[in-house]
Amino acid sequence: MGYDPSVVGFLDLFRGKFVDPTWAGVHAGGDIITTRLDAVVKWGRKSSIWPMPFGTACCAIEFMAFTGAHYDVARFGSEVLRFSPRQADLMFVAGTIPDKLAPVLKTIYDQMAEPKWVVSMGVCASSGGFYRSYHVMQGIDEILPVDVYVPGCPPSPEALLAAIIRLQEKIQKGQQAKLPQGQDQLGAPGEGAIDRRARRQAWTRDDAARAENGLPPRGVLALRVLPQEEPETDSHHG
Amino acid sequence: MASVLEPHAAPVESSSPTVRILKQRLGGGVKAVTEFRGDLAISVSRQVWVEAARTLREHPELDFQLFLDLCGVDYLDEGSREERYEVVLHAYSVSKQHHVRLKAALPEQDPTVDSLCGVYKGANWFEREAWDLYGIVFTGHPNLTRILTHDDFVGHPMRKDYPTAKRHVLKRPKEWLLRVPADSEHLIVNIGPSHPAMHGTFRIQVLLDGETIQDAEAEIGYMHRNFEKMAESRTYWQIIPYTDRLNYCSSFMNGHGWALAVEKLLGVSAPPRAEAIRVILSEFSRIMDHFVAVSTNVVDLGAITPFFVVFRAREEIYELLEACCGARLTVSYVRIGGLAQDVPDDFEARCRKAITSVKDVTSQAEKLLTRNPIFANRFREIGVLSADDALSYGWVGPCLRGSGIPYDIRKDHPYSGYDQYDFDVPVGSVGDCYDRYLVRIEEIHQSVRIIEQALAKLPRGPVITDDKRVALPAKSEVYSNIEALMNHFKLVYEGILPPSGEIYGYTEAANGELGYYIVSDSQKCPWRVKVRPPCFNIYQAFPAMIRGGLIADAVAIIGGLNVVAGELDR
Repeated sequence: MGYDPSVVGFLDLFRGKFVDPTWAGVHAGGDIITTRLDAVVKWGRKSSIWPMPFGTACCAIEFMAFTGAHYDVARFGSEVLRFSPRQADLMFVAGTIPDKLAPVLKTIYDQMAEPKWVVSMGVCASSGGFYRSYHVMQGIDEILPVDVYVPGCPPSPEALLAAIIRLQEKIQKGQQAKLPQGQDQLGAPGEGAIDRRARRQAWTRDDAARAENGLPPRGVLALRVLPQEEPETDSHHG
Repeated sequence: MASVLEPHAAPVESSSPTVRILKQRLGGGVKAVTEFRGDLAISVSRQVWVEAARTLREHPELDFQLFLDLCGVDYLDEGSREERYEVVLHAYSVSKQHHVRLKAALPEQDPTVDSLCGVYKGANWFEREAWDLYGIVFTGHPNLTRILTHDDFVGHPMRKDYPTAKRHVLKRPKEWLLRVPADSEHLIVNIGPSHPAMHGTFRIQVLLDGETIQDAEAEIGYMHRNFEKMAESRTYWQIIPYTDRLNYCSSFMNGHGWALAVEKLLGVSAPPRAEAIRVILSEFSRIMDHFVAVSTNVVDLGAITPFFVVFRAREEIYELLEACCGARLTVSYVRIGGLAQDVPDDFEARCRKAITSVKDVTSQAEKLLTRNPIFANRFREIGVLSADDALSYGWVGPCLRGSGIPYDIRKDHPYSGYDQYDFDVPVGSVGDCYDRYLVRIEEIHQSVRIIEQALAKLPRGPVITDDKRVALPAKSEVYSNIEALMNHFKLVYEGILPPSGEIYGYTEAANGELGYYIVSDSQKCPWRVKVRPPCFNIYQAFPAMIRGGLIADAVAIIGGLNVVAGELDR
């Protein structure tokens, strides 16, 4: 059987593990391969992420360095920046999100097509940072599902590259962050941060209940070719 | 707690012409005159507030044409005062080169004062801010609405009895800032707050007739992250990182300004080596800021090459800053009385390398832009603002100099040893976008000149003052010497204790005069910090500048003003 190293590399990307060239999926001397459609789609998704920068503050300046020639995010297939949410599948929230901006952020997130991911860049977007004050959202996960948190004030471009790699791993595994509980609510009530521990516990209970009914946990992306008869309509995260 | 440094500012008999003329005009309206650290402050009764401001602006001997700042202060439970609130105006005279601070006390039950909108154009947004944050009512103001906080906000957050972290949820943003007049086919176009041309989070709505802008209205506050409220519960050191995030394109200069302002309040000064390094890094920051301003401006117009060209030199400067303090963008390198630590041994070589790179990319960018007919056609005669209007709005920095006023604090009130360096202040002649671009490019060349001179005579010696009330002792001392250990402990535990008093410290930041108005009650945290942000005044003029122009020009104008959200909304 013919052996083309590039094909092996290709298969390797699909399956996320080393594949023997004599494996049954390689046919006709390597011209034809068979694999799971799911794996191809995930491979395609993770290798062509189109980010949309939602840059508000200092982090946006460092984001510019990240997209510049020196750090060269094109190596990871994510250099096509889109300023329209409808053309993007990853949102970089770079900077502090004050309460006044929160509805705008939520609207723009809702305008992105599924499947979509969110990277929270810097401590302000992740937790409000050192602005624990009357007009600053204490982390965007009050209103958005966040896939990767990048610490730093601002994070270095290397940290952002690491975030892209981490996100690629998640996409390959078909993972997507879960929506925050109380998703219809904009911002935390009252005086300060949301209770993240309570939210995690609620997610765990929810996942356990779904497992009892034979359903996968929320936040798992599954590709379906045939229409399924499950009553569930939102398969991504609800 | 008693002050450890110097006693209170006492009322003085001032010989200044400002006091003489105001007393002549207002008689008993002038309540008190104080001088502290060279700052002249005049308290007047609120009945003569507008009259006093008009006199300051229009009297030929005073000529306070440049509006700097207007803010409120809350003196809740400050025993010595009868009235709770105070409204404070800062102004400057470019021709006479003097500053003034005008204050009026307002009672708690009725914090009302007449609006200064008729005197200074720039007062409009500042009065809205004072109403928003303090609830001070300005009678006669055309549009006294919230400006920094959102519409569902309840209360006035900068009041001392408002809890720092009490938030209010905004359900829906305000949709319309303008209305289409009846019987017209005009169109409203909303730009921002999330729009690539808005450089952050500004929002502008324009009323269009075809492509011509009939009316425009700006909304800000999308980056209001409460620097001033946070500063009231932080010590003077802890505020340094917050200042980095004001104008984040040139973080170092904000810290430099803050350190100088606090040093003025304390009456200490940094050693010559620290001042020289501050100057070098400030000028590098100015270069970075101008690079961002120019390159992102032309990106909006469709030319992306200059962006990639100048960001190469920015990376070099980042590496220099990283070598000095470990951070690229938000440096936190200054300390009160000096610097955090000395620069690395190869500092000079790194600077020279960065200078070579800066010169290289600047000449490349100039070749790409200055005589490029497409660029020049988009920039010439666009966004013209006259010198009078610029002063009245309180414009400063490259924008004011673009309008032809040669006011540069580095020349007129030298600080950190700027008087030792030979440099020129470029000014424009028309006051359009092209002039502002040329001023920025020329300032890059002048900054390089300053850096080269400063490097040539970089003094040796310590980088932080040896005043034990201000600077921490060296770590080696702390580990081996009980006195140094106690000194360290006391200073960290109790903080720097300045005298009570109020000062206005100002420096020439990349966008112009960055001022800090600090009110101290001799505690470790300041009672009130007001940033005088250059962008706030500059952006205020923007809606008026684009009226009557084309919508495509609005994008060219806003980039040329280089408004930075962190500084605009604080």
